[in-house]
Amino acid sequence: MTYKHAQPPVITAHDLTKTYTFHQQRAGLGGALKSLVRRKYETRLAVDRITFTIEPGEVVGLLGPNGAGKTTTLKMLSGLLYTTSGELQVLGHTPADRKHEYLRRIALVMGQKTMLWWDVPAMESLLLHKEMYGLSTKEFERNVAELAELLEVQDLLNVQVRKTSLGERMKLELMAALVHGPEILFLDEPTIGLDVVAKARVRSFLADLNRARGTTVLITSHDMDDIEALCSRVMIIDHGRLQFDGALDQLVRTARPRKLVQATYATPVDGSRVSGLNGVTAVAVSGQTVKLEADRDRAGEVMEQLTRLGPLVDLDVGDADVEDIMRDLFLRRSTLGEVS
Amino acid sequence: MNAVVRNLRVLRRMTAAEIAQQSVYRGAWLIFMLANICVPIISLLIWRTAIANGAQLPIDERYVTTYFVLLGFVTMATSSWMAGFLANDIRLGKLSTWMVRPASLLVGFVANNLSEKFLKLFALVPMIGIVWWIFRDSMNIPASLGRWVLFAFSIVLGAILVFTIDILIAALAFWMDDVSALVQARVIIAGVLSGSVVPLALMPEWSQGFVDHQPFRYTVSFPVEIVAGELSGGDLVAGLGIQFGYVVAAGVLARLVWAAGIRAYSAVGA
Repeated sequence: MTYKHAQPPVITAHDLTKTYTFHQQRAGLGGALKSLVRRKYETRLAVDRITFTIEPGEVVGLLGPNGAGKTTTLKMLSGLLYTTSGELQVLGHTPADRKHEYLRRIALVMGQKTMLWWDVPAMESLLLHKEMYGLSTKEFERNVAELAELLEVQDLLNVQVRKTSLGERMKLELMAALVHGPEILFLDEPTIGLDVVAKARVRSFLADLNRARGTTVLITSHDMDDIEALCSRVMIIDHGRLQFDGALDQLVRTARPRKLVQATYATPVDGSRVSGLNGVTAVAVSGQTVKLEADRDRAGEVMEQLTRLGPLVDLDVGDADVEDIMRDLFLRRSTLGEVS
Repeated sequence: MNAVVRNLRVLRRMTAAEIAQQSVYRGAWLIFMLANICVPIISLLIWRTAIANGAQLPIDERYVTTYFVLLGFVTMATSSWMAGFLANDIRLGKLSTWMVRPASLLVGFVANNLSEKFLKLFALVPMIGIVWWIFRDSMNIPASLGRWVLFAFSIVLGAILVFTIDILIAALAFWMDDVSALVQARVIIAGVLSGSVVPLALMPEWSQGFVDHQPFRYTVSFPVEIVAGELSGGDLVAGLGIQFGYVVAAGVLARLVWAAGIRAYSAVGA
């Protein structure tokens, strides 16, 4: 899904930093009265000097635990927030200036905020976007027809938005965001709350969009299936710092350098023989099943040893599940080491 | 396409959509209209009774009648209710969905204001027409078309002034957690100082210098006075000049505060 162009990056961030100032108030009447007289202000570093570039046509996943700084980063990129310090250029613009020439080339979809009018059909919102983005009638009709077909929402365009399901609404949100043909699409939790079928449709649509139009997509999601299905590259942010920036399989290799192997035999296995195998760690034997982790470089050698343990019925070799890796990383608050 | 033309086209589309959206709640605007006209009518009856019973007022019965018959219309035409909603959008981060789109952030509120007023006309004008017909013999009705043109012009300026004051109050939500107390204070203060509750001519004499020149007079009372009162040509020119001055000053101030507020916007929520 990654497109390599001899074009300049669409996003360049250098030492991007954002701090928030807020006041603390203790719970209860005493705390409320005290805060009336004297307030204690604190500054929180939400994003801490992160540096990265994004090339045209890339689909990049922005990952991190809650409060890590990923949504703040997305908000700075889309122009919602001013940066505290650092340099940021998106499509050659400073996003926070919110120039028309910039805003008409991007779109932001937030899974928990709607840009559609609630009480009128989605077509009203689409027509509003036609005026906002200065689309000709021909261009508008062509885009609406194309997106409606891809998203399978032809029958929903003239239905009051409040009468659509969550999944249908998200598809209509995507349609409203894309009707002007943005070059960059920022997605903040686009599949939150959707059922598995709706999630799959949204993912498939986004993949098609990237393939067909070369739209650059930057996505935050807690759903690792979204990331696996869409992203060729992931950036992990924690405590406001960029902890990892690279391909998803590189993340897997870095976080879990060993292969997961599960061997099933026709007869019970002697555990003491398994623990003596070369290149093997974390062995678990349960009756006829052996689960172990093997050094990636010595995986072939381990397989060969396993065939000698008994009559092999089934052998499964794979990488750790991305969901498990992320859970471990977030629990340990990342031990990947910083990239910037 | 320049920004003004683009925003006007967006405004036209949004106003149409707002009318479609608000038409869903027909009962609500009928009740709003009854509320709009009930208070002036009750006030009219009270003041007419007071005059009939010999109350010595600095204004006569014809002024009082014309004032309260027109009051419901002018109050509706110059009103704005967006401060609370806009402050809420700022506080809850709902402004974000508009900030990433290439149009003025306020165009939605202007559309909401215009569309509601457009719909309210259908209920309010017949109601005022009936009251007008009942009291037609005891009203000051200027024969000159010029007065009515100035009346309309002053209403437009008054509406812009109220809307701009609302932006100023709402923009404080960029820094304050809750501006609902300020919104409420504005409603109460404006109710008295605009002449919506009592004609400003009935205010104590010692306060007249302040009352005549404070901005809220130019949001309701001054447009009504153009028709109901006996403002001289000089009074009219001076009044319109002051009204225009307040519109420009409030506009510049609102723009500065808004620009500073956007820098402080924290876009809360995912």
